[in-house]
Amino acid sequence: MTKNFSLILILFFIIFLNPIYVNSCDRAYNPSKIAVAGGSITEILYFLEEQSKIVAVDLTSNFPEETKKFPSIGYVRNLSAEGVLSLKPTLVIGEDDMGPPNVVNQIKKTGIDIVILKEEHSSEGIIDKIKCVGEIIGEREKTIEMINNKIMPIKIELDNLSENIKNQDIKVMFILTMDSGSPIIGGKDTSADGLIEMIGARNAFDSFEGWKPVGTESIIDAAPDIILISNRGAHSYKNLDNMHNHPTVKYTPAAINKNIIALDGMQMLGFGPRTIETALYLSKKFQTIENN
Amino acid sequence: MLSIINLKFLNRVQSFILFFLLILLLFVLLISFSLGSYSFPVLSILMGNTSAIETTIFSEIRVPRVILAAIVGASLSVSGACLQGLFRNPLADPGLIGVSAGAALGASTIIVFGSSLTSTFIFSTFLLPLSACLGSGLVILMLFLLTRGFGHQGVTYMLLVGIAVNAIASVGIGILTFISSDSELRSLTFWTMGSFGGITWSLLIPALIIIFISFLFLLPVLRNLDILQLGESEAKRLGVNVKNLKYRIIFASAASVGASVSLSGMIGFVGLVVPHLLRLLSGVNHTYVVIGSALLGSSLMVFADLLSRLLIQPAELPVGLITSAIGSPFFLWLIFRINKI
Repeated sequence: MTKNFSLILILFFIIFLNPIYVNSCDRAYNPSKIAVAGGSITEILYFLEEQSKIVAVDLTSNFPEETKKFPSIGYVRNLSAEGVLSLKPTLVIGEDDMGPPNVVNQIKKTGIDIVILKEEHSSEGIIDKIKCVGEIIGEREKTIEMINNKIMPIKIELDNLSENIKNQDIKVMFILTMDSGSPIIGGKDTSADGLIEMIGARNAFDSFEGWKPVGTESIIDAAPDIILISNRGAHSYKNLDNMHNHPTVKYTPAAINKNIIALDGMQMLGFGPRTIETALYLSKKFQTIENN
Repeated sequence: MLSIINLKFLNRVQSFILFFLLILLLFVLLISFSLGSYSFPVLSILMGNTSAIETTIFSEIRVPRVILAAIVGASLSVSGACLQGLFRNPLADPGLIGVSAGAALGASTIIVFGSSLTSTFIFSTFLLPLSACLGSGLVILMLFLLTRGFGHQGVTYMLLVGIAVNAIASVGIGILTFISSDSELRSLTFWTMGSFGGITWSLLIPALIIIFISFLFLLPVLRNLDILQLGESEAKRLGVNVKNLKYRIIFASAASVGASVSLSGMIGFVGLVVPHLLRLLSGVNHTYVVIGSALLGSSLMVFADLLSRLLIQPAELPVGLITSAIGSPFFLWLIFRINKI
């Protein structure tokens, strides 16, 4: 009796108290017209060559270039229910920061399938995300095949290289922007932290969480070997040689040895298929740095 | 500089308070110079037996930062004190005539559109402060034209125009916030909470000069500000050149606040409250209030910046948060204490 009761209790918890995205990788009822809220999901649909199903994208979807042709549903965290519905999607797929929550609920109430994907900042997380999208749009076999052909080789190479890098204990600092006095740096539990970990390096600022401004003295104290910066953050420095002379980073080993790398922000932090490629690219670069 | 200030208007208590504040400032400066997230004994710097990196950190990073905090604190508080005197309004602060909002608009423009502007390196570190200065300059120009040389219908009219100009600048900032990306939004938010990070001598020296010159403009007219408290027409009859007084105070405040805000971002509270603290302590004559504001404002800001650097290191707390967090409860306590007596 007690056994049965606890079973019922467990069932109850599974059904009612689980987070919203569990089971969300089920095949959607009708995945023919998809509104996408999140750059990495658009990337994944292109990766799976299913872009013909997209009817609208959000502002963070900027890759590939031609996504600009789709109508925009605005910024991923600030969608408007009517705006999304006006494009008559049959399915909305969003990143876990899709919002605001009440708009998501409004859309749900109209009966349209709306899926929020789980975000995990690792190679496995990227693969799971691609799998999940593939299953939702009903292309399970094709997706697994494409992952095996295109992503797995990259992952295997990346895993090998990152093992090497792990032994060398390379400290990396990720700068988001340098506009507001002290540069804004990625700490623990950020997408930047995930990227650095994928490469096998160590985040020079894992003592705080989130994105925070960090003063020059602390930057020198942390002594990063490599600085990663988004293209936007490095915007004023057409020539990265100039970036090495920026007063806030000038005295770090990274700037002294000219190991500052600027790449597109979404490419590094979007955690779509491009991010794993970027991680591989960076890990190759890190190896040459250490060999010098 | 003392020759342009008439110290005979200070009573003994006020002189003592000013002297005490001077000591306080020196003390806070000393502590601030010797503490930081990169720790090393500062005494050894003076004796010259430190590594090159420690000397660089001290002279290129810590000293300019502390000095910037000091002059920004002084300029915000002095402008606040003078503007409160000029408008005869205890709620006036540098934000009220729209200078900060103008600077914020200039800075936001660069934060959001800077990526599409081509620029060379030397220019790019100066771009944001320059644009902020330009923004506050434009606001003052607008104010000047709209009030026909600050003369039209007295100070109330000007205050209202200031509020309107402020609102217009906020619309601009709002639009920029709306179209900004995630990372730009973060920059904008942190900028509006203030920071002294990233300062270099090449940015600091022009600001130092601007602020110093504007103080030279303000200091000789402090007595006239006292007389102005009787009312504009009375002051005129007593021989005060009210128009000249307005020009001096508005242009000097605008220049020094513009220069400060462009380097530090928005730091609220200090300009409004520091002058009141001094008035609550002892008397309202402007010689005392303005000089005291400079000293106390500096100390408060240097101390706030010290906390900003140390509290959650290696990350930094925005300094604007700290000034408000320290200042407002203390201010409340002071108000209630005075009421009891």
